[in-house]
Amino acid sequence: MDPFVDPCVEELKKRSLKDGGFASSVKGGYRPDSTGWAVIALDAAGVDDPMIHLARSRLVSDQQKDGRISVSPAHPEAFWPTSVVILAWQGSLAHKEPQSLALRFLMDTSGAHWPKDPKAAMAHDTSIKGWSWIENTHSWVDPTALSIQALKVTGHEKHQRSAEAVSMLLDRQLPRGGWNCGNTMVFGKELRPMPDSTGIALDALSGIVPLKRIQDSIGYLKKRIRNVRSPLSLGWGILGLGAWGERPAEASKWLMECWRLQKRYGSYDTSLIGLILLAHLAPSGLMSAMGRKDI
Amino acid sequence: MTSGKERFSMKGWNRRDFIKAGLVLGGLALSGTFLFKKLGRYITHLMPFQEKNLKYATFIGKAGSYSEDITSIILSGLKELGVRPAEIRGKRILLKPNLVETYTGTSHINTHPLVVRGAIDAFLKLGAASIIVAEGPGHCRDSLLVLEESGMGEVLHGEGIPFVDLNYAECYQAKNMTHISKLTAFSFPVLLKEVDWVVSMPKMKTHHWVGVTLSLKNLFGVMPGSFYGWPKNVLHWAGIEQCIIDINALCRPHFSIVDGIVGMEGDGPIMGTPKRTGVMVMGRNPTAVDATCVRIMGINPEKVGYLRVASIGLGPIIEPHIPQMGESLDSVRTNFSLPDHIPVYKKLKEV
Repeated sequence: MDPFVDPCVEELKKRSLKDGGFASSVKGGYRPDSTGWAVIALDAAGVDDPMIHLARSRLVSDQQKDGRISVSPAHPEAFWPTSVVILAWQGSLAHKEPQSLALRFLMDTSGAHWPKDPKAAMAHDTSIKGWSWIENTHSWVDPTALSIQALKVTGHEKHQRSAEAVSMLLDRQLPRGGWNCGNTMVFGKELRPMPDSTGIALDALSGIVPLKRIQDSIGYLKKRIRNVRSPLSLGWGILGLGAWGERPAEASKWLMECWRLQKRYGSYDTSLIGLILLAHLAPSGLMSAMGRKDI
Repeated sequence: MTSGKERFSMKGWNRRDFIKAGLVLGGLALSGTFLFKKLGRYITHLMPFQEKNLKYATFIGKAGSYSEDITSIILSGLKELGVRPAEIRGKRILLKPNLVETYTGTSHINTHPLVVRGAIDAFLKLGAASIIVAEGPGHCRDSLLVLEESGMGEVLHGEGIPFVDLNYAECYQAKNMTHISKLTAFSFPVLLKEVDWVVSMPKMKTHHWVGVTLSLKNLFGVMPGSFYGWPKNVLHWAGIEQCIIDINALCRPHFSIVDGIVGMEGDGPIMGTPKRTGVMVMGRNPTAVDATCVRIMGINPEKVGYLRVASIGLGPIIEPHIPQMGESLDSVRTNFSLPDHIPVYKKLKEV
């Protein structure tokens, strides 16, 4: 019995829905992103249960003709779960076709971009394409990093969109290291980094860019993560550092402390439980928890 | 690729915007009672101000530091503004602070936890049935990190008050009634309908895109990131100022409590510097409250684009239309720094 894995797995299983998929929280309803993260984490934990196949198939029913998976049918423009779902379908032969369709959507879609204006208040290069949270808005760090992961896990890390997105992430890296949601300097001032965005960007860039390009960000995150116990930042922080061989020795202890914080904040969102379970299980970043094997 | 002209939000107001806003909001305001009945409680404010001017009063309380008795200041404000225990007794109250991000030495970014605790205690003393604190931070996606590091989590845990992350809230859709922005509808958390009172609790700050961020702008935090992104980029693309008006025409907080004990000046709402102002500003009408705040900050409300538009139908900004309770404006006014390299501030300083 693993004192961290077992409670996480049990909690995720409790949120499995009869019709397939997972609820966002104990009392919440179905959500595709929650379902995606639950599937990825349970799969990584070696759970062999029909609920995983059922959940993957429920995600197929969410898919629109162009391949996107949106957070809600009322908001087709909120397509950010697409990359998570691509990861959740990974390794399942039965879901190859919808996964390919979703990938095509990602490759054909980008955020809104425009030529860089040297006089603009925002210093980043607005012309470099990445992915947005929501259709027809600008590209931001987290959705771009997760889309790079989706391309990576499916063997498209050398695709032109992946290469451009890597450039975008490097451009959005803060001068002193780290990432936030995606603003570097505004009106001449450098904004502050965030551990969650830094972790997800580092995880995405591992194996693609040389260490020297992100060294300062690793330095920032190693220092910052010591005092972080919230699941989103800790989960991505550990995964991001692990991807570069810098997983903190105390990672498991911190994750347990994070789990106990639910006494204060109540049960975590399903996505967050999936994320911290993955951070526990994947010593070398998210990709190390993702099987490329087909089942 | 999008052209430079159409891409942003931070473009402010042009003459056409004002005319459009004037026609829409002015038309609604002048049609008074008929529209009030037809459009329901969300636009009770769309009535000529002179008919209900007591509702537009604001209260200024002095508080030199966060160690002062903030509960008593809030109770005084509520009393002066005519909020009787009968109005609060048995009600479910939602407090909506402004939580952005945390970093060592940056307590001037977020609504201070002790102000939220003061509000919790005040509403409980008046007999509130329950209190919820809810926010959907737009800049830092990790809401629990902000709660943990701002001290808000400890306060809420100590008081036994639940926190709801509005970024992932279940929503209902409301048709855009004012159409100042191009958005046809907005998704609001269902939670807003499940409570009886919504209290906007912003921080008194300058804002490098729209001039100031106070009660009205604070409502961006109720718009879920899962539908609007991080930052709330959909609202930026549709126009920050335009969306402030559209959102506030649909979602009407019952009360505002502004934390101006230590505010932020300069390059707000994140990278500015602390401004010790020593005030808390309260009122039932967010537009009137914001107008009073900007006067305290040494700014003419008529110069703040979205406040000028809000004054057409959402609430008054002219000083004689806002009865002043508590401390006088002159006794607390302190000019906030508005650096020249930020274009919107130049407009605020125009004579």
